[in-house]
Amino acid sequence: MESKWFTMARRHFPTRLSHPAPRQGAGSFMRRLLASPDFRAGFVEMLPACLGLIPFGLVCGVGAAAAGASWLAALGMSAVIFSGAAQILAGQLLAGGAPFAIIVLTCSVLGLRFLMYSAAMAPYLKALPARWQHALAFLLTDQAFAAAIRRFDAKDDPHGGARHFLGSGVALYLCWQITSMIGFFAGNLIPASWSLEFAVPLCFIALVAPLLRDAPTILSAIVAGYAVVALGGLPMKLNLIAAGVIGIAAGTIADLARERWTRR
Amino acid sequence: MDATLKLWMVIFAVGLINYLSRLSFIAVFARRSMPPLLARALKYVPAAMLTALVLPMIMGDAAAGGAVPFNPKAGAAVLAGVVAFYTRSTLWTLGTGMAALWLLQALR
Repeated sequence: MESKWFTMARRHFPTRLSHPAPRQGAGSFMRRLLASPDFRAGFVEMLPACLGLIPFGLVCGVGAAAAGASWLAALGMSAVIFSGAAQILAGQLLAGGAPFAIIVLTCSVLGLRFLMYSAAMAPYLKALPARWQHALAFLLTDQAFAAAIRRFDAKDDPHGGARHFLGSGVALYLCWQITSMIGFFAGNLIPASWSLEFAVPLCFIALVAPLLRDAPTILSAIVAGYAVVALGGLPMKLNLIAAGVIGIAAGTIADLARERWTRR
Repeated sequence: MDATLKLWMVIFAVGLINYLSRLSFIAVFARRSMPPLLARALKYVPAAMLTALVLPMIMGDAAAGGAVPFNPKAGAAVLAGVVAFYTRSTLWTLGTGMAALWLLQALR
């Protein structure tokens, strides 16, 4: 019904009053994005990290299978939660028969570390449109965070940096979906005598052990470890969240004490 | 509650909470800076939570009170921890840990 002139005018004078702004077309946006050197650089830069992520992704798929998830639910976990530690934790709690509220609460404590990443990333993303902020926040992971901060610091170009971040985030996201699907299907084929379930704690050890380089962190790990065993009698796997909170408190108190002591 | 329904509810609830945590200071509290005490406490989330998560998986048999004088998983985990500390590599940690577990299980 619209005349050619109206269409042209609308393209040149977009107004939000009566009509939404003309869609540029998602296709053209995607084409420009995929062609941009920043996006490609981010994607390629993340490939070695993807390689290191393969075993973790596989383990997540195996864990989802062990928790009794269908392949679609396993893919849903990876696609929606997109956090290895939270997925495995949720799987363990589900398999242990913990109630819904406890699972969600325990996983939220684990997810608190994203607050830290979010706060560190916020100043770099301040200049970007909300759409970009919302998309990049979804792709914020341990690996993408490190690469993005490096790039934002190297060049004073928030938009290029955002495309770079999106490239690395997309690379990690694709790698994560593919490897967890492979893990889900392969996990059923591998014989139990291989003790493949031991790969789960090993992946977490790979994350934790390198952190244990200063006294408060070591103390928080020891206290949490002691607490989780000592409180093992609690129902519904409540010992996990309790030990986590106690360990965090111990680390924080030790950190405050150390600061007061060194200031003196 | 139906198991499938519960699983999907967990997926969306945990996904939403994770997303809100990621979005928090980027969009929701963009105009605020983080309280210093919170910033200090958050540094210890990974070490405390992940240790609490790992330990029961390793001590499974011992914690259950079984008469296991020697736990191959604990030995392999300690070795893997040392490798992780020095190499910071997931692949090396997994390789060493699994190999050590198979060796210790064969020896038992």
